[in-house]
Amino acid sequence: MSFWNLWGPAKGAGAAKPSDWFVTMAREWNARNRTKVELTYFSGNTYTNGSTLPTAFLADKGPDIFALSPGDFLRYANGGVLEDLTPYLTREAIDDFVDGALDTRTVDGKIYGLPLSLQPHAFYYGIDAWERSGLSEGDIPRTWDQFLSVAERLTTKKRFGLTLETTPGYLQNFCWYPFMWAGGADAVAPDGTSSAFREPGAVEALRFWQETIQRGVAPRRSLGTGSTDITANLLVDYCGIQHCGPYGASTLRSAAPHFAFGVFKQPVPPGGTYTTDVGGWAFVVNRRGRNPEAAARFVVWALGSMEESCVKRMADWCTVANSDMPPRKSVARLAEQRGYFEDPIMKYFHEEVVPGGRGEPRYPPNVYQPISEAIQACQLSGADPRARADRAADLIEDALATYEGARIF
Amino acid sequence: MPDTARPPRRQPSRLGPTAVWGSIAFLALLTVAPLLYMVSTAFKQAKDVYTPDLIPGSPTLDNFRYIFSEIPILRYLFNSFLVAAVVTVLSLFFHSMAGYALARLKFRGRDTIFSGIYATLLISLPLIMVPLFLVAKTLGILDSYLGMILPAVFNAFGIFFLRQFYLSFPDDVEEAARLDGCGYWRIYWQVILPMSRPLLTALAVFFFLGTWNSFLWPLTIVQNPDLIPVQVGISNFQGQFSAAWNYSMAASTVAALPTLILFFVFQKQFTETIKTSGGR
Amino acid sequence: MTSGRRPLSQRGRETLAGYLFVAPSVIGMFVFLVLPMIASLTISFFRVSGFGDYEFIGLDNYRTLLSDPVFASSLKTTGLFTLAFVPTLFTVSLCLALLVKKQRRGIGLLRSLFFAPNVVSLVVVGLVWQFLLTDHVGAVNRSLERMGLSGESWLGNPRYALFAVVVISVWFFMGYYMIIFLNGLQDIPSAYYEAARLDGAGRWRSFWNVTWPLLRPTSLFVLVMTTLTAIGAAGIFDLIYVMTKGGPDYSTQVVMFYIYQRAFQLNDFGYAAAMAAVVSFALMIIMFVMLRITKGGKVDA
Repeated sequence: MSFWNLWGPAKGAGAAKPSDWFVTMAREWNARNRTKVELTYFSGNTYTNGSTLPTAFLADKGPDIFALSPGDFLRYANGGVLEDLTPYLTREAIDDFVDGALDTRTVDGKIYGLPLSLQPHAFYYGIDAWERSGLSEGDIPRTWDQFLSVAERLTTKKRFGLTLETTPGYLQNFCWYPFMWAGGADAVAPDGTSSAFREPGAVEALRFWQETIQRGVAPRRSLGTGSTDITANLLVDYCGIQHCGPYGASTLRSAAPHFAFGVFKQPVPPGGTYTTDVGGWAFVVNRRGRNPEAAARFVVWALGSMEESCVKRMADWCTVANSDMPPRKSVARLAEQRGYFEDPIMKYFHEEVVPGGRGEPRYPPNVYQPISEAIQACQLSGADPRARADRAADLIEDALATYEGARIF
Repeated sequence: MPDTARPPRRQPSRLGPTAVWGSIAFLALLTVAPLLYMVSTAFKQAKDVYTPDLIPGSPTLDNFRYIFSEIPILRYLFNSFLVAAVVTVLSLFFHSMAGYALARLKFRGRDTIFSGIYATLLISLPLIMVPLFLVAKTLGILDSYLGMILPAVFNAFGIFFLRQFYLSFPDDVEEAARLDGCGYWRIYWQVILPMSRPLLTALAVFFFLGTWNSFLWPLTIVQNPDLIPVQVGISNFQGQFSAAWNYSMAASTVAALPTLILFFVFQKQFTETIKTSGGR
Repeated sequence: MTSGRRPLSQRGRETLAGYLFVAPSVIGMFVFLVLPMIASLTISFFRVSGFGDYEFIGLDNYRTLLSDPVFASSLKTTGLFTLAFVPTLFTVSLCLALLVKKQRRGIGLLRSLFFAPNVVSLVVVGLVWQFLLTDHVGAVNRSLERMGLSGESWLGNPRYALFAVVVISVWFFMGYYMIIFLNGLQDIPSAYYEAARLDGAGRWRSFWNVTWPLLRPTSLFVLVMTTLTAIGAAGIFDLIYVMTKGGPDYSTQVVMFYIYQRAFQLNDFGYAAAMAAVVSFALMIIMFVMLRITKGGKVDA
């Protein structure tokens, strides 16, 4: 069975540990089972935003097992190519997942994917640059105003204070949503048929992103694969603050053990409530693959069983191979026993960042697209946020009116 | 690229010849500056990538060592070489056969066939990508060497040149062979092909470079990591090693070097082909 | 075989040989060029799920296309690109050809240097320029700053990104068309220049009176080829894919890139085919008009 993923087997800085974890997992499975798993590695830029998966499915050459992000989930779920994993899962194991971790992978009570980890977004900053700009821990921003002024202080001739994603795509939307949610707006209203994109929260979020560019505190292009590429931006001092999930910590530590950094959670607009976007990859099974049943058993064995070895494997992923937040209670307990949350960064993610977080929404392409267009136009072309929010809301409502498929949220 | 066309004419020049030569040379250097900068960065250390010096302060081979050990770039190069070589050989073979028949044999529908072939010059890859993908899927050649090779072989370009070239042969070229009782195949194989060596060499360089540099089609149809050609490889590499420009530029240098070498070795034949493409 | 029937069988043999010789190419071109062209039309009447399901929807894709603002804006971007690319490339390569026309010491090397970018792949070209154009710290911005000018985000600002792509494409293609112009210039008999000189014409006058009119066939060829390149070539796609992915704010999203995205990233195969059909048709009309206006020029061979 082919298993397409973004981690292994791969070489190169920072890739070694996650890659080892995948290789070990496959080896363990293959030692005990007749249907073998074969890993295929893809680099991020063709897989997440590119043509790799869609093209493979078009060609009837889709992988048997693959990593899927919530943003892309609906297309495959509605396309009917995902295998239902529920029959292979025990009740106990399902209940072991932390609240909300399975929601974005569930359609009509059927679970189609199991998350490898939780990746809530927060902001990282380099302590050296921070202090040299005359900032101290007390300056950590809680509001958008403070956020902008800190970014301004950090901006120099060679450094941008802050990077926010500028390349259109799922990642950009993902990075932007918490700004919108904090002000009480949403792309799709709870009723599922109208859009809450006209709310001031969305307009203000668009305006905030616009302002970071217009004031020159954020670049129009990030380096590397984008604004969450932490070694390409923060580490090389291209920016002073950037978005990243908890895995940023292990990435930084393995790339540059002496680089000192801190983390703070998403600042809020006046009167806003804290929230963040919780991403994370899930393993899913191609229902039209060579052996969907064996593939489903593999995924459940890897990420969804109550076996001690499974819990240990997942804890290894979160604490050793990477630094991520555990998607299951038993995994969190084991991580805690290992002293994982004594690390100040992980403690902060665990106690401050995750609570209040919201799973990455799953939108069909024609809901995602108007949002992307609005962000692009406001951020990079200086378009009027009010007008673009209204237009996006209209387009989203058009899309919802003709949408058929699994529930959007 | 010596100019064989005509003896130079003398023209009075207000600027001294040295000054003119100097300014042309300056422009030429400016043109290749980005490529020189690429090569130079490939030898720089990570901390120096943004330094403006063209000669690296403390040159290093580490970047090359790194890319050769960390990504299967040799495999990529091999894939590109294999595909480009097969495309070149097949193209020359099929195109010269067609060119020969269209130029020197008389048969019904010949001119219609030629016009048809000529008209396909208008069709570009991005325009037919969607259905071509389905054709390749039906033939079962997606995600394979054959899938990269076959669609690249068939185009009007080579047929067109070779036909023009064969038209310029004197009428009695095949006469001796025909009197010896040779069939058309032997005439083609023993008379026509050897005579077309210069143009075939030129076209070979052209086809090889074109295939070596192609990106869009392999990007779309190849998922198997073992089949990835070098252009797709280095484009993926951009995602894998992100802003490590010293690595990126080293990989780019490795991908570009074969083409640059080939060009400077065969520049005469190469420009001859282009000249002919200017229509005659 | 009697000698009386010989001429006939000779012709028959020649015909058979002719067909056999062209067969591989004709079959190959039919399968990989013509058939897709025809299939494109057929697919455009279907909704394709991307997972193997087809549903006949008649002209729906074409109807969607009429009201798709992104398609409209990508056509506009393609138009802008073409209008900037074709004349710039034309002028630059003609100037280069005039510059390197005369035999001088080392002129062969200089011509090769101008041509060199063209043999490098567009993926490499895209990577190199992305590096050179990095915000703040890239070589281009640093050089500008040293000259007292302010740097810009050339690929990140919707105002400049398309312009940057045009400049880079011109840099890439100029050597190729320089050679073509050079060839055209060398076809002009020197007697014409002698005559012009005897008439007392200066360089400028002899350019307009001799070079320009006699270069017409070459010029037309270059115009047609560069227009085709601007609208439909894979090269421009490669560059945009590597450098901007159609951004910032869709400013470099040419129609080919949009078609590719709809087809291979969003799996809207039918819709992409409909757009491709419309663009092909438009391209054919443009070519027809160009060839009509120029009465075929040299392109008819």
